[in-house]
Amino acid sequence: MALIVVEDVTVDFPIYGFQKSFRKEIFVRAIGGLIRREGRNSSRVTVQALENVSLKLGDGDRLGILGANGAGKSTLLRVLAGVYAPTAGRVLIEGRVSPLFNTSPGLDMDDTGYENIWTCGLFLGMTREEIAGKMAEIADFTELGDYLALPVRTYSTGMLARLGFAIATAIDPEILLLDEGLGAGDARFAERAKKRVDALVERSNVLVLASHSEGLIHSMCNRAVLLHGGRVVTAGGVEEVIEAYRRMNAAG
Amino acid sequence: MMPQYEVALADFAEGISAWRMWGRLGWQEIKRRYRRTVIGPFWTTLSLGVFIVVLGIVWAQLWRQDPKAYLPFLCAGMLAWTMVAGIITEGCMAFVAGEGLIKQLRFPHSILSCSVAWRNLVVFLHNLVIFAAIAVYAGVPVTPASLLVVPGLVLVWVNGVWVATVLGMACARFRDVQQVITSVLQISMFVTPIFFTPDQLGPRFEGFVDFNVLFHYVDIVRSPLLGRAPATWSWTVTIAGTILGWGFTLWAYGRYRGRLPYWL
Repeated sequence: MALIVVEDVTVDFPIYGFQKSFRKEIFVRAIGGLIRREGRNSSRVTVQALENVSLKLGDGDRLGILGANGAGKSTLLRVLAGVYAPTAGRVLIEGRVSPLFNTSPGLDMDDTGYENIWTCGLFLGMTREEIAGKMAEIADFTELGDYLALPVRTYSTGMLARLGFAIATAIDPEILLLDEGLGAGDARFAERAKKRVDALVERSNVLVLASHSEGLIHSMCNRAVLLHGGRVVTAGGVEEVIEAYRRMNAAG
Repeated sequence: MMPQYEVALADFAEGISAWRMWGRLGWQEIKRRYRRTVIGPFWTTLSLGVFIVVLGIVWAQLWRQDPKAYLPFLCAGMLAWTMVAGIITEGCMAFVAGEGLIKQLRFPHSILSCSVAWRNLVVFLHNLVIFAAIAVYAGVPVTPASLLVVPGLVLVWVNGVWVATVLGMACARFRDVQQVITSVLQISMFVTPIFFTPDQLGPRFEGFVDFNVLFHYVDIVRSPLLGRAPATWSWTVTIAGTILGWGFTLWAYGRYRGRLPYWL
């Protein structure tokens, strides 16, 4: 049983030390957000990343979040993950949330593959028993064999991606949050990876996927919202929202 | 901003009970620093050991003290100071260093402060080797009071967690704080009776030591190592520090925990 209720959520990012690298910070935080000055002498600069966003999701919902860069997609995902407490509004989440923004949190280049499976697994919310139980399956999927006993700094980029992917997709999420989908490795691996992601999505109760790829959203979601400048512009069926996204892009 | 204390308490309860997590983090961090070195964490031990022995012999001469009395005193003091100062300086970076995790995942951030305190305790235990060697050489007595080192260390750890939390938050918001703390600590090392005993200060200044909080945290570890019970006043100050510190931390953490990811 999983439930997400987002009511009138607003997120303002304070910008600190903007005199030093104001431009840089703005670009990093949000391209397209609303920049405002607050407080006495307008000394506090904030970027509004989300404004009055409301959502309600339950079991079986597969929500796609569409929008251009800086529309607030990632911020919304991070609000759902419980990383950012909203500046205003209310978020209610029931169920275990698994954010897969970075497939291997806590990864240490000097640790072996096996050690990293432990660390990342713990950070992704798995219990020791779960990790121990899934170790063989994870190791098998990576196809890394004896390399797993070596420090991961000896891995190629592709091997590292495969390891991270295998760990991340081993979880049993109730609410799965994905940023731009998950990808890993060469063409042959991509086929197996797709099956694994499908299985992961299949066993999660709720999926929230942020992307600007219409195809990805079309294939994985059954509902969608379109964000622009931190606001929900359109919400509803996938087709309808993709249509609105296209119109918005065409209008520039 | 409703039930702030509850939010903070829940976070700490969850964080502290996740000992496997912070235990692992602290341990990995130590391993990371000494990767591919032959004697690993004992490098700190070695350099600290040489420092203590050389300085101890020279200063025992300068101040016309018996090296067999001065060396154990200096050693126990330095070890305790290294731990206390380590928790304070590394506590400043507790959350800044954990930025990647804090911005990705929802987890009790107090895990990071527990790990800082734990890591420094582990380093202290490594360094005890130096003290063991010096204690054998100087014949430091092992008495029932020696056992008090256990509550002493527990107290340092418990305080370390709140110190790392408060400083970690302060440094995440105001990056200048760390510079201030580092300079203050550098001076404190010479003002706190580690290289000298409080009574060497003479009757006029001796009393000031009672107000030096850092001295008392050093003392509750140092005195038991030397086979003596710490002064009642040291227990009083450190226990009062624990209560006041935690009270303040629960308030501050409850109020600002939600803002922490925005500061990073």
